[in-house]
Amino acid sequence: MARTRKQEIGRGVVLFAFNSSKYNYVEMAEYCARRASSFLGLPTTLITDAKSAPKDTGVFDNIIEVVPDKNNIRENQVWINKGRYQAYELSPYEETLLIDVDYVINSDKLLKTFDFSDSFCCHNRTEFLMHPNVSQEYLSSYSYSSLWATVIMFKKSERAKQIFEALEMVQHNYDHYANIHSFIAGVYRNDYALTLALNIVNGHSTEPSDYIPWDLMHVGKNTSVYANQVDTQIPADGDYWDFNTEFTVMFDNWKNSKMRKEYITIKDMDFHIMNKDLFAGIMNG
Amino acid sequence: MDTKKLISDAKARFAHNSAKVYLKEKYESKLIIAEQGGLWKADANTITILTALSNQFETTTVLIDTFDNPVEVDATALLETLTTTYKNVMTEWYAEWQELENKR
Repeated sequence: MARTRKQEIGRGVVLFAFNSSKYNYVEMAEYCARRASSFLGLPTTLITDAKSAPKDTGVFDNIIEVVPDKNNIRENQVWINKGRYQAYELSPYEETLLIDVDYVINSDKLLKTFDFSDSFCCHNRTEFLMHPNVSQEYLSSYSYSSLWATVIMFKKSERAKQIFEALEMVQHNYDHYANIHSFIAGVYRNDYALTLALNIVNGHSTEPSDYIPWDLMHVGKNTSVYANQVDTQIPADGDYWDFNTEFTVMFDNWKNSKMRKEYITIKDMDFHIMNKDLFAGIMNG
Repeated sequence: MDTKKLISDAKARFAHNSAKVYLKEKYESKLIIAEQGGLWKADANTITILTALSNQFETTTVLIDTFDNPVEVDATALLETLTTTYKNVMTEWYAEWQELENKR
C-alpha cells in the first residue's frame, strides 16, 4: 500500500525503517528526511510496515508499506534489515539515493554521486572518526573487502536492476554464500550481501565507477558524538528548520591501561553512527 | 547537551592529529568533480599538466581520469573549472585549519 502526497519523478531519497521494541527507526527516518530535504533539496520516500507507519505523510513525500521479513536476529532482538533489494522496484524516482536512517546528512556532498555513474555507486572504503588507519573490513580472510550499503546511489537502468536482483538472490541464499566465503551467517548483513551481489554482476572484477570516491565516515567504538546545538523548528510548529551542523566527537584513547578523553569538533560533514543510542541523543539534543 | 561542559567535565583534550585527518577527509572529497565525461581531482598534478598543455595551445587533449579512463577534454575549460574548485576548497580548508590552530 502506498500513500502518496505527490508523484515525483527525477531524484529522491529512499529510506527503510521498521520500528523495533528498542528503537524508533521511523523517528530516525524523519530526522534523516528533514535533512535530505534541506541539504540535498530532495524528497524522501519511506518504506516501512503497517505497524511502524506514521499516521500522516509529514516530512515524507511517499510512504510505502510492505510486509517485512522478520527473520533476522541481532543481540536477541528482531532486526528488520532484509528486503533492501526491493528499493529498485519501490523507488518512485528515476535516480535514487538509498540511505540508512542512521546516516547524518550535514552537506550537499551526496548530490555529487549522481554525476559519478550512469547506474550505481556505493562506498567501498570507510574511515572511523578519531580512529584513523583502522583496517578495511573483509567478509573473511578468504574473501572480498566489504562494500557498504549505508549510502547507495542508483539510476533506473538494466544494470542497477541486475544488481538489486542479485542482492535478492544473495539474501535468499545467504547461508550458502556464508559457507563459500567463510563468514558467519547468523546475522544477515546488507553490506555483505551487496558485496557479493556487485561482484557477481561484475563477473568478479572491479568497476571503479561503482565506488563513491571518498570514504564513508563512521562513528565507531569507544567514540561518542554530540550535537553542539539542537535543530530548531521555526516557528515552533513550522516547516522551516535551522539545522545544527557542528558536532563534538569524543574518543576514549586507551594507552598503557590508562584512558584519556580526546575530542575534535566537526562541521558540515556527513557521517554514519553505528550506535543507535548515540543517534537518539543527537536527535533529541 | 552542553558540549563545553561535557568536555570540561571529562577533562578531554583537543586531538589535533585527529582533527587534521578529519579536515583532510572532508576537503579532499570536495576536490573531486565530474566534468566533461570524466571524474577529476582538482589537485596539483592535474592542474600542472593542464597548465602545461594550455601553455602549448593544446586545446583538446586526452587525460586519464580518476577512474583510469582516457577522456578527451577541452584542456582550457577543464583547467579553469579545476583551478576554481582548487582555490575555493583550499581557502575553506585553510580557514578551518586556522580555527583549529587557535585551539592550541
